[in-house]
Amino acid sequence: MNLTTFYLAVAGLILAPLLGGLVAGVDRVVTARLQSRMGPPLMQPFYDVGKLWSKVIPPASNWQGLFVRWALVASLASDVLLAAGADVLMCFFVQAASASFVALGAFCGSSPYSKLGAQRELFQLLAYEPVFLVAILCMAKVSGAFDAYSFMNASAQPLLFKMPLIVPGLLFVVLVKLRKSPFDISASHHMHQEVVRGVYTDYAGRDFALLEIAHWADVVVVLWICSFLWATSVVSMVATAAVFLFAALVIDNVSARLTWRHMLKVVAPISLVLATANLLWLYME
Amino acid sequence: MLDAYIGVLVLWPLVAGIACLVLRSPGLRSALVLATGAALAVGALGVATQAPFIANPGFLSSETALHIAEGASIVLPAYFLVRGLMAKHALVSVLAIAQLALAAYGIMGMPAPAATQNAVSCDGLSLALVLVVSFAGSLICIFALPYMKHHEEHLHLKVSKQPGFFLILLAFLGFMNGLAMSNDLRVFAAFFEATTLCSFLLIGHDKTEEANKSAFRALWMNILGGIFLHGGILLIQKQSGMVDLQQVVNPAMWAGASMLPVALLALAGCVKAAQMPFQTWLLGAMVAPTPVSALLHSSTMVKVGVFVCLRLAPVMQGTTTGRVLTLVGAFTFFATSALALGQSNAKKVLAYSTMANLGLIIACAGIGTPVAVAAGIVLLVIHAATKGLLFLCVGDMEQTVGSRDLEDLRGIVAISPVTALAAAAGAMAMILPPLGMLVGKWAALEAAAASPVSMVLMALGSALGVVCWVRFAGTIMSGKSIESRNAHSSALTSTPILALLAGAVGLGMAAPWLNALLIPGAGFATALAGGWGLLPSLFVLAMLAWIIGMKSLSRQSSVQLSSPYIGGLPSAEKGTYIGPLGRNWALSEGNEYAIEIFGESKLSKFAGVLAGALLLALVGGAII
Amino acid sequence: MSFLKTSQIKSPWLMHFDCGSCNGCDIETLACLTPVYDVERFGIINVGNPRHADVLVVTGTVNPRNAQILKNIYSQMPDPKLVIAVGACGCSGGVFRDAPNVLGGVDKVIPVDVYVPGCPAKPEAIMDAVVTGLGKLKGILEAS
Repeated sequence: MNLTTFYLAVAGLILAPLLGGLVAGVDRVVTARLQSRMGPPLMQPFYDVGKLWSKVIPPASNWQGLFVRWALVASLASDVLLAAGADVLMCFFVQAASASFVALGAFCGSSPYSKLGAQRELFQLLAYEPVFLVAILCMAKVSGAFDAYSFMNASAQPLLFKMPLIVPGLLFVVLVKLRKSPFDISASHHMHQEVVRGVYTDYAGRDFALLEIAHWADVVVVLWICSFLWATSVVSMVATAAVFLFAALVIDNVSARLTWRHMLKVVAPISLVLATANLLWLYME
Repeated sequence: MLDAYIGVLVLWPLVAGIACLVLRSPGLRSALVLATGAALAVGALGVATQAPFIANPGFLSSETALHIAEGASIVLPAYFLVRGLMAKHALVSVLAIAQLALAAYGIMGMPAPAATQNAVSCDGLSLALVLVVSFAGSLICIFALPYMKHHEEHLHLKVSKQPGFFLILLAFLGFMNGLAMSNDLRVFAAFFEATTLCSFLLIGHDKTEEANKSAFRALWMNILGGIFLHGGILLIQKQSGMVDLQQVVNPAMWAGASMLPVALLALAGCVKAAQMPFQTWLLGAMVAPTPVSALLHSSTMVKVGVFVCLRLAPVMQGTTTGRVLTLVGAFTFFATSALALGQSNAKKVLAYSTMANLGLIIACAGIGTPVAVAAGIVLLVIHAATKGLLFLCVGDMEQTVGSRDLEDLRGIVAISPVTALAAAAGAMAMILPPLGMLVGKWAALEAAAASPVSMVLMALGSALGVVCWVRFAGTIMSGKSIESRNAHSSALTSTPILALLAGAVGLGMAAPWLNALLIPGAGFATALAGGWGLLPSLFVLAMLAWIIGMKSLSRQSSVQLSSPYIGGLPSAEKGTYIGPLGRNWALSEGNEYAIEIFGESKLSKFAGVLAGALLLALVGGAII
Repeated sequence: MSFLKTSQIKSPWLMHFDCGSCNGCDIETLACLTPVYDVERFGIINVGNPRHADVLVVTGTVNPRNAQILKNIYSQMPDPKLVIAVGACGCSGGVFRDAPNVLGGVDKVIPVDVYVPGCPAKPEAIMDAVVTGLGKLKGILEAS
């Protein structure tokens, strides 16, 4: 590891959560505008986290603080790994570990809603993880290696032209990771939610603030990996991420009643089949 | 010195086992089992310092070994035949006759192959298996001491059956060590049959109707595996006139030759490793007492199957047989992971997950590249420790609660915290980076780059595994506080559990070094492209997370907890809410198993047919 | 004021509890979330969980059955917290205050910070009440 990698890693550690918070702000403003509302200020997510941090509340379980902190470290670690140009597959696994910690903490909670949320969270994990993995495998096939820098310098031509069929899959992942759909997982800020706040029900106060930061870091990882599709320059990467974000917001606003069973039985298989077809196609060439 | 180590590893367990049978005193038995554990540990470490080596110990020359093996190859099928006829089990009888015929043909009908120079050979792969058997196996045998006492109290037996039980258990360790180090294919086959015998006797140990049925099912399937093995060995003899393992696994020998024998040996491995569609014998084997499940059916005996495949990996690399075997393994990994998700029986979850991980190792063997084989060996070793730990924990929790259903184990962390936390940690060790199982899975995925379909199957299986294990750990940890009463537990129960926990986590952390240790010389060739190098920094991160998390835990462990959020209706009594009529109503919880998708009834048949077709393709592809 | 104190005022998450309202005030409360009124401008989010809430908006009269629930929900909210009683019933029990099964307004059970009169209360009035409550909170935070 040389010094440049180290600087990049530190930059990833600091910038990724900030960027994630900004993305969350943009998300809320754009969603409001799509519904012809004015929406909150852009900095609203930071105020929310600040407020949660300053709230003192007894935990619902002795274990939750532990799992929240592990989730936060794992989420930030996945950002750092990407920034340092490490193995994208490992970055994905670290990020999945964060999701498992969140679910585990919810299992330890005392509210039945929290446990219900944990169950559904796991099925959500089951739905998007394979698609996401296959999408990464497609990128790795074209770039010939698994590290992030190879993905970014894969070819003069954007990766998108070689893997159009993974786009629906990635969109699905973004949608899930933004915690928008399906509505009966219900962990978003949206009004269209079914049960309390699912996996987040028992987290509160400071733990919840940390979890929110972990969520921001997650969103950045996912959008970052999406942006590899058009990695010819920094501007094009940011633009790609923005396109994915906006597309996800639009889809979310027109499909507000997607349920988790529908997701597991219809959306996930279709997007997985498409992504697999793309992978096989890359091998045929 | 080396001869002594080998003697200790192979013969001492048998001697100790016979001593257990003859001297029926429980105290002596405990001492013998503990002594065997110590002896095996010394022997394994002694062998490890010398590996890789080939040897011809004075007390067990290749001729003597061969004579014993030839005897066993007649005696064991004959015994199976007798048992089959006594139980009027047609399938067992017919298969045993077939095997007897093969053995007789091998001894009399075939020209003698070139004599094997050395009886013993031990390389990284053998060493991996020896270490697993000697350490994990011994710990499980020690755990069996209090477990079996409790088990027999529960059954109200008049005459203890433990002497015989421990004879088989200990002898089995010796057979496994012999199998790992034997250099002559015929000797290897004899040990293979001996493990089948141990498995049959131990599954049927409780003599209930269900146990009997499961034992015979395991027997006929494993005899079938034995027939494939013998057939493969006879074909190798016919093709090349050789039975020396070191020469047989040399890719140069197979240039232009038919791959059918290799396919048959791999098929035998698949049966022994309970790959689909042969998964039913391993599921049935779960009726046996838990130490048996832990020792034979997750940590060691089923590893014989993947051991065979990993042995043949250099030969299979880049061949059709290898590619099909990769698919077979990856498919089992996927299908059994899905089946595990629909299970609420904790032991069945473990059984399915065992098959899944064995499938992953077999897929690695099919790929055959050095990276893949390294991943396979790392998985083999760490899976043994982790799964052994999980089995012991489930066994202990089952004796505490009286049920092995996951729903009954909900929140058991409040009743027996040590075991429950060890089980949760074991479950997490199956899936978390940077621990060994995940590292192995990761390396396998990257090594499978030549086989896109296997990669997709592995991706699916990996996600299914994550869900299964998080739910397993979550259910155990569910909704109780830290302080609690302590359940009965003896040092002989908790020591193996804690030792295996340390092993599972420690080995998991040590995966890259383990890799270098077991495959010396090839260290650089086996490294992933910039891969293993990533792990040390991940360990630093994991340590950091551990420290931060523990600080928070110590802060939160003493605080007053909030009342549960139940729509404003929590009652003062724990686990209840104020419901209709102003009364307290009990809250009941349950996991979602999504039976309509992952249920056994439909999925097993469907996946079994597909897997059967793949196995046919394995043999068919080799013939063409 | 520090960032943490500012953010407490800029991010009031609101929980709505219907104690026994005729649904008139409830509909007006929910109307605040629609594009016409859009309370999200003030960072207000309607949450369903007292553990996440800062402001408890209560509509309707309190009766012996739901008084315990109201108390539980209030106690599960983290400090500092605001309570807003919406509508004539929430404020005082309204026309039902003499009914045998009615205890009266919300303040019979938990301390109320802001009262919103009206039958039903108008969305503008409800939003004004939240902003007034936040002013009160600001005073408390500045004093601390």
